[in-house]
Amino acid sequence: MAAVVLDSVSKVYGSITAVDRFSLQVRQSTIFGLLGPNGAGKTTLIRILTTLTRPTSGRALVEGLDTQAEGRKVRELIGVVPQENNLDRYLTARENLVLHARMHGMKPEEYNRRIDELLELTGLSGRQHDFPDTFSGGMQRRLVVARALVHTPRVLFLDEPTTGLDPQSRRAVWDHIRSLSRDMTIFLTTHYMEEAEMLCDRIVIMDHGRSLVDGTASELKERLAHAHHYELEFRSGGDRYEEVLRALPFVKSLEKVGDTFRLTLTAEEDLKPLMDSIAGADLRKICLREPSLEDVFIELTGSKVRE
Amino acid sequence: MLVLRRALFSELLAVIAYPLTLYLAFGVGLKGYISAVEGVPYPVFIAPGLISMTAVNAAFDESAWSMWFHRRVQRTIEEYRVTPITVYDIVIGKILCGFSHGIFKGVAVTAVIFVFTPFRFSLLHLAFYLFYIILGSMIFSCLGTICGSTIDKPENIGRVQAVVLVPLIFMSGIFFPLSSYPAALVPFIKLLPTTAAFDGARQALLHGIMEPVYAVNLVVSATVTFLLAVWIFDRKMAE
Ligand SMILES: Nc1ncnc2c1ncn2[C@@H]1O[C@H](COP(=O)(O)OP(=O)(O)OP(=O)(O)O)[C@@H](O)[C@H]1O
Ligand SMILES: [Mg+2]
Repeated sequence: MAAVVLDSVSKVYGSITAVDRFSLQVRQSTIFGLLGPNGAGKTTLIRILTTLTRPTSGRALVEGLDTQAEGRKVRELIGVVPQENNLDRYLTARENLVLHARMHGMKPEEYNRRIDELLELTGLSGRQHDFPDTFSGGMQRRLVVARALVHTPRVLFLDEPTTGLDPQSRRAVWDHIRSLSRDMTIFLTTHYMEEAEMLCDRIVIMDHGRSLVDGTASELKERLAHAHHYELEFRSGGDRYEEVLRALPFVKSLEKVGDTFRLTLTAEEDLKPLMDSIAGADLRKICLREPSLEDVFIELTGSKVRE
Repeated sequence: MLVLRRALFSELLAVIAYPLTLYLAFGVGLKGYISAVEGVPYPVFIAPGLISMTAVNAAFDESAWSMWFHRRVQRTIEEYRVTPITVYDIVIGKILCGFSHGIFKGVAVTAVIFVFTPFRFSLLHLAFYLFYIILGSMIFSCLGTICGSTIDKPENIGRVQAVVLVPLIFMSGIFFPLSSYPAALVPFIKLLPTTAAFDGARQALLHGIMEPVYAVNLVVSATVTFLLAVWIFDRKMAE
């Protein structure tokens, strides 16, 4: 059985279609990553799956249960880390976890041990009696993650779990998520390609409420293998060549980083005319560049910033 | 609940200070000018209303601000909503929380007035009086919940209080007897739930009178506002 099923789900806000006939199945005990630029509809999908938002049409199932008709049962099975931390700042870190456990109907004998464990795991034991507004952003984030795990959910939803964390905390959260995936399905959204690549068994890139591609990180990169990305580095006078390169009809895109140019050619055969056009240049290096997940992302969703 | 216990002392002080100031200003300050109203010394005349007012204001404030804060600022309502508890559990919990704030602060003010003033009443009167405070706090807690669920901007909650609630409270005869109104107006004033709560409370505490019209009015108002608060919150969450 699939842990998460979306069956042609749409969500319309007035004139905005946040999610547009989106279908998806996520296998149990896998880590699934949903990528997309700002406003793509990731949070909206998570809100639908976690019973917070009613889809305008279509059906969403979690562990075979309908999020609308059987919302309560769904909520027993899920853990949620929302995009924005929503801790109670009038409760201490530990009280936040206890309240969560009690809302899940857990008994003190059950939750006290579990909470000790989670506080230990997230490195917050020493601060458990402090209020969350005295925590750093990273500590608050770890507390929210710990809270989502108190009742050992079967499906864990993480909306940008590591946004705003330093590299150490980010890695700590990753290790943590990976260790959980053995007996839990994890559904996460992220803007970090590296994160998706490191963690996810499967990635979907979405934009404007629709799915664009679906596959493992290497499958997605494979799709771009036909694209010809090169890097040129000039020892000197790089600026002079910018105009020249831009004028070439087969240069699909050009990006300048310091003295290095990153460019995409329409075909392999274009390499020779390219070399001819910059003949005599003081070249330091020319190399073929492996496409990164970020290239795939930019290629699919465009490079313009959304409003 | 936990939070309530933690903030208890500072809150109590703030809560008691206000009615006590009013009591001193009106009750003691005006004593020389207003000797007796309806055969009762003025400080005694206003005391029941002040207690009720403290209670219902506390109930409204707690419900409205707590709902608003948890919904708009902390967004803890969303955390509650992804656990097995239902929307109804959440809204009823909030109403009861506001309600208990009201009762609790009402009791605190009563105790203070009792200790520091010569104001005395019989236990039976007190039981009747409790009926009014309970229903009044319930109504205002539900009203607060409705405001907290629907109003997004905090200044608008303050406006509702200033434009709707304060006039309703002052019109209902806390500081003067209803007989001060033109006779034609009295029947309308008597229909206000606040009049039922405050004038009724005074009749109960001072004279041991249980006015049936007031009682029915309060029971109906409490039921209606409760159902309305639950329904509105449910609708708001389904958006
Ligand atoms: N409550 C709402 N009312 C109106 N429009 C909304 C609402 N919530 C979301 N939207 C719109 O739906 C679209 C998708 O938003 P969503 O929050 O799902 O994006 P996202 O992919 O999570 O973006 P981000 O990466 O910035 O978090 C946006 O255009 C947004 O403006
Ligand atoms: Mg989002």
